[in-house]
Amino acid sequence: MADNELPPLDDEKGQWDTEAVSRRKVLGALFWGVAGLGGVATLGTAGRFLVGNALEPKAQRWVELGTAADFPTGKVQRHVYSITVADAWRDSERRGVLYAYTDDNEEFVVLDGTCTHLGCSVQWQEDADHFACPCHAGFFTREGEVVSGPPPRPLQRVDAKVENGIVKVLV
Amino acid sequence: MNRIARWIDERTGLSGPVRGFFNYPVPKYVHKNLLYTLGGLTAITFLLQVVTGILLVFYYDPSTEGAYNSVDYITYQVPLGWLVRGVHHYGSSAMVILAALHMLRTYFFSTYKKPREINWMTGVLLLFLVLVFSFTGYLLPWDQKGYWATKVGSEIAGSVPWIGPTLMQLMRGGADLGQATLSRFYATHAMLLPALVGILIVAHIFQLRFHGMAPAITESAKRNSKKFVPFFPHWVVTDAVFGLGILAVLVYFSWSQGAPLDFPADPTSSNFVPRPEWYFLFYFQALKYFPGALEPVATVAIPLFIFGTMIALPFVDRGEERRPWKKPITTGVAIAYTVIILWLTVIAW
Repeated sequence: MADNELPPLDDEKGQWDTEAVSRRKVLGALFWGVAGLGGVATLGTAGRFLVGNALEPKAQRWVELGTAADFPTGKVQRHVYSITVADAWRDSERRGVLYAYTDDNEEFVVLDGTCTHLGCSVQWQEDADHFACPCHAGFFTREGEVVSGPPPRPLQRVDAKVENGIVKVLV
Repeated sequence: MNRIARWIDERTGLSGPVRGFFNYPVPKYVHKNLLYTLGGLTAITFLLQVVTGILLVFYYDPSTEGAYNSVDYITYQVPLGWLVRGVHHYGSSAMVILAALHMLRTYFFSTYKKPREINWMTGVLLLFLVLVFSFTGYLLPWDQKGYWATKVGSEIAGSVPWIGPTLMQLMRGGADLGQATLSRFYATHAMLLPALVGILIVAHIFQLRFHGMAPAITESAKRNSKKFVPFFPHWVVTDAVFGLGILAVLVYFSWSQGAPLDFPADPTSSNFVPRPEWYFLFYFQALKYFPGALEPVATVAIPLFIFGTMIALPFVDRGEERRPWKKPITTGVAIAYTVIILWLTVIAW
C-alpha cells in the first residue's frame, strides 16, 4: 500500500507535505513492525490464556471398590465410583462406571465402562456374555477385547490391587 | 427529508450508503424466483437466533451446577420462556435447513464461478460455523443429550492421528467433561461465534452487492435480466413475508412440541443412548461403518475431504457453462451427496 501514488488533493484543500511524504517507506515499515509486535503479543497471550490448564493430566487416586471376598466369582459386576475432584474453580463429583470380574477373588480384572470408539457407555449383557456399546454397535468380551464393531482398542483396563482384603482401583 | 433526518445526515453522512443499500436494483429474473429468498431467510433466522439468544442469556447460568436448573426454569417458570427457548431451539434446525438449501441453490446455478469464488468460500465457512453453533449450543442445558453428544464429539476430535488427545483436552478444557468444558462452549456459542458469523455475513452480503447477482441461466430469465426492481420494498417485502412464515412455524413447534430437555447430565448412566441432533444423524450413522484402525477415515478424512472439495470447487469447475443440466458431473456429485446424506439420516432415524 505504501508504494501507491497518493491521490492529488484539491487546491482548496491544500497540498501533501512532500518532505513528510518522503519518509513514507520508513514510517510504513515502522507501522507494520509495531502492529506485528502488538499482534503477536496479543495473540500469544490469548492463546496461552485459552489453553489454560486444559492439558494438565487427569488427577488419579486409589478408590476402594469393596471387600475382595464379597465379589461373586465368574461374574461381571458393575460398579459406580464417585470422588470429589477439583474441576477448574470448583470441587465437583467425578463419577464413572467400572466393570469388575474375578475368578478367584485374588486377581481382579477391572475395566472402564467407556467405549474406546467415541466415549459412550458400554453395557454388560450377561445373557450374550459381552459388553455392548449402543452408539455404534461395538462389542467386547468380558476381558474387554473387541469382538466386532468400530472400537479401535480393547476397553481400558483400570489398575487394581487387593490391600488388606480390600479391592482398590486407580481412577 | 425532514429536518431531523437532514440534521443527522449532515453529521453522519449515512443517507447515501443507506439509500444505496435500499435502492439496490434487483433484476426481475431474481425477483420472480423464490429460490433467491433462501439467503435472506437464512439471515432473518440468524437474527432471530441472536434476539432469542440474547434473551436466554438473561436467565441462563453457565455452571455445571446451575445450568440444568436455569434452563428448566426458563422453560417452565419464566413467562414465555418456553416460547423464547423453543424458537431458539427450532431456529437452529431452520438455520441448518435454510443455509443448506441456499447453498444448493447457489451450487446448481453455478454462482461460485469467477468472480464470485470468495463469496462461495465465505458461504462454505458460514455453513461450517452454523454447524459449530449448534454443536456448542446443545451442551449448554447440561442435560443427558448435550453431555453425551459433547463427549462423543470431543472423542471424534480425539481420534485425529497424533494430535487427537491434545485437541480433545483443549476442546474440553481438561481431561474430562466438566465446568471448563461448559464455560468454553458457552463463550464460543454466545460470544465468539456470533461475532465471527456476523462479520462473515456482512462480508458475504458486501461481496454479493459488489459483484451483483450472478447472470441468469435460463432463456426466460435472460429475457428478464434487463429489468430491475428496487431492493426496498419489492424484494424486502417477500423476505419479510416468508420470514414471518418461518417464525410462525417455529412458534408452532415450540407450542406443540416444546424444546426438549433431557434428564440432567449423568456420566454414570449406561442405558442412555446418545443421539445427536437430527442434522448430525447421517454422520452418526456413517461412523458405524469404519471399524478399528479405519476410525480416523470417518472422523477426520471424510469431513476434511467434504470441506476441502467445497472450498476447492470454484477452482476446479472453471468452465463457462452454468446450466446444471449441461453439467452432469457437478450435478451428479451434488445429487449423490444429497442422496447419501438423506439415506444415512433415514437409516439412523
